[in-house]
Order: sequence, then structure tokens, then C-alpha cells
Amino acid sequence: MAVWFLSAPRPLDAAALPQHTPDAANGKILYHASGCHSCHMPGPELAGIDSAVPAGGAPLKTPVGTFYPMNLTPDAETGIGNWTDIQFVNAVMRGVSPEGQNLIPALPYTSYAHMKVEDVLDIRAYLMTLAPVASPEKPPEIPAPALTRRGVGLWKWVGLDTTPWTPDPSQSESWNRGSYLVNAPGHCQECHTPRNVFMALDTARALQGGPHPEGVGRVPSLRGLIERGRYKDAADIASALQFGGMLGYDKLASGGMGQVQRNISQLPETDIAAIGEYLASLK
Amino acid sequence: MMSKGILGLFAAAVLATGLSSAAMADMGPIEARQACMKANGAAMKVMVPIIKGEAAYDKAAVDKALADERAACANWADSFGDDTKPGGAIKTQAKLEIWTDRAGFEAATATFITARDALAATTDEASFKAAFPAFGQSCQSCHEKYRAAD
Repeated sequence: MAVWFLSAPRPLDAAALPQHTPDAANGKILYHASGCHSCHMPGPELAGIDSAVPAGGAPLKTPVGTFYPMNLTPDAETGIGNWTDIQFVNAVMRGVSPEGQNLIPALPYTSYAHMKVEDVLDIRAYLMTLAPVASPEKPPEIPAPALTRRGVGLWKWVGLDTTPWTPDPSQSESWNRGSYLVNAPGHCQECHTPRNVFMALDTARALQGGPHPEGVGRVPSLRGLIERGRYKDAADIASALQFGGMLGYDKLASGGMGQVQRNISQLPETDIAAIGEYLASLK
Repeated sequence: MMSKGILGLFAAAVLATGLSSAAMADMGPIEARQACMKANGAAMKVMVPIIKGEAAYDKAAVDKALADERAACANWADSFGDDTKPGGAIKTQAKLEIWTDRAGFEAATATFITARDALAATTDEASFKAAFPAFGQSCQSCHEKYRAAD
């Protein structure tokens, strides 16, 4: 009984939403910063759909099993067309589906939980500007999905920290922008921070690198990038994020960073420079 | 004097080529392909500053970097035998996909060679800068699919 209660989803209440006029242009920036497209790509059965459209259905292999991330276009039947603001915010920031089920944290709501709610609403506004594509949801190939979702509910007590991101007043505005982009929408910690025995992010070792989530190789530390001679300076890191393997920053190509880098390259240059400034400061 | 100088340069070049082939012959296939990638990295270090506008275009330096790359990578196609898969005694970032998707890997290699040869054939700054993105793209897309993280 206690387990049933403890494992129940804990969504935000609609009253928690701020008064906000959505800004789809800002949403587009945050959409790229959040890397939504990397997982929500159109699946092979959607031949003819532009691969840049987040129509969902492409397989996402994880240690738990294979997922088919959903359609993010505003299709009423199969996408987010009929979702309300609070349903969207709860899926992205609390890992709770509109049906009230716990979502598996392959969707990195553990990082998105630190986002500004306004930014998440702006992402929704941007997605609503896309042409709707019919792309029905495919069930994940995981063992005991219902039990797993309840298990996620328990795990959230240790794995889901909903503290909003806060600026460091002693740092510059662009450093803080970089910190926000890295730690909230960018969800860099999901791979670059090692996990503890509960498979929760070990924040004491934030961004120090760890085993690769796909099981092969290691994810490098993002600390001491300058001191270790990986990059010359903040501008060099920004250049790596902007151009990646195209300009010989070959480490930005492998291990899944190719997709991440392509997403980041869509950001305004000031945002990319801000990420460089923040990362260069990590010792 | 002049002709002696040229002769000397020629001799040095022949010697250097001979030495590097001898060194390559001593290498195992994993070391050989890693040497090829090192040469690629060295060529990038010459070319990228030109693309970024941090260094002036230098045709001789570009030509040499790409010729060195071609020489170091002469045995590339033959250096992915079944006994060189990841998990052996020598650490390699080559992904298993190279062996499970050989056709895709060979196509990626062909794309790279086409892009490199097109880049090596450029004759001035404008054509070099125009040909470079396809070259960089071929590095990026192959690393994305066929090379593991650290």
C-alpha cells in the first residue's frame, strides 16, 4: 500500500503555471538547446517526411530496452495537438504523461525539471507552429512496462530533483546563460555526470565524466578542459560546439556528440559563446 | 649547386618515403589505421586555421599535409581484418559497426577519399575553401557512426 502510494506520479498543478505570453522564436532556440530532435526523429516508416521534423518513431536503444519517442508535431490524434500547457509541462519537467503515468527517464526530465517553465511553454508554442504529421505512438520494447513505470515512480524520490536552476550573482550574465543551457535544457549532466548506486546523478561529481550510457567507452569530463589541454580557451570550446568534426574537433563527432553538436550549432552565437565561457570556468 | 640542392631534396624525399613505408610495414593493422588518423589530425591542424581565417592560405602546406595523409592511409582499407575488432589487446575506438555494416563503412571511406582528392586538387584559396566542407563533413559523419567515444 505504501509502495503504491510512493510510486504514484506527482505532477504539477495547473495553478503552478505562470502568466505567460508564449514566444515561439525563443521556443525554437530552447528546442535546439534541449536536443529534442535527437530522440524524436521520424522513424523509417515515415518515408517522405523531412528528417528534421520531430515526428517521432525512430528507435531509441537504452539499457532498459528500445523506446520509440513520440510525435512532437501538433497532430491532434498522434502528436501534442490536443495537449494542454500543464500536460506538456508535466511531461517535460516531471516525467508524467497526460494519462497520468510515469515516463521512463530516457526523456531527460531530470534535467528539464530545472528549466524555466516559461521556456518549456515556449517550446510548446514553437512545436505548435510545425506542420502536423500523423505518426502513431509505438509501445516501448521493455520488460513489464506497467511495473517499470511504477518503479520509476519510486526512483523519482531519489532521482528527480525539481529545484529550479538559479543564477550565480558573482558571475557574468553570459556565464549564467551558459550554466543554464548546460545544466537545464542542454541536459549535459545526463551523460557527463556519473551516476550513483541508485542510478541517480551523483551531483557531487557533476560533469566529471563517466561510463558511456550505451555501454561502450567513456564520456569525457567537462572539467579542466583548458587545463588538460583539450581546448585553448572559451572561444575554442565555442568553436568546437559550433563546427564539431567539420573543423577537426573530432571528439565532438563520436559517442552521440555529433547529434548534440548539430543541435547546439543551431543556437545563436551568443548562446554558444556563453556555453563556452561556462565550460571553460569548470575546474 | 642549384641542381645539387634539388637532387639532395629529392634524395631526402625518397629516403623519407622509404623510411615511412618501412615503418608502416612494421606496424600492425590497428597501429596502421591509427597512424592514418593521426595524419588526418595533422592535416586538419594545417587546414582548419586557414578556414577559420587564423592563418593565411598556403598551397604548399596544404598540398604537403594532404600528400602525407594519403601516404599514411595507403593501407587503410586492409587494416580492418576480423582479428582487429574492438576488445582485443590493443585499445581501439573502432566500433563493431565497421564489421556489421561493412558496406556502409566502405561507402563512408569512399566518400572521404572523393572529398580528400577533390580538396587536394584545389589550386587556390577560393576553391580550397569551397571544397573543405565536404571533406570535414566526411570526417564527421564517419566518426559519428563508426568510432566509439574515448
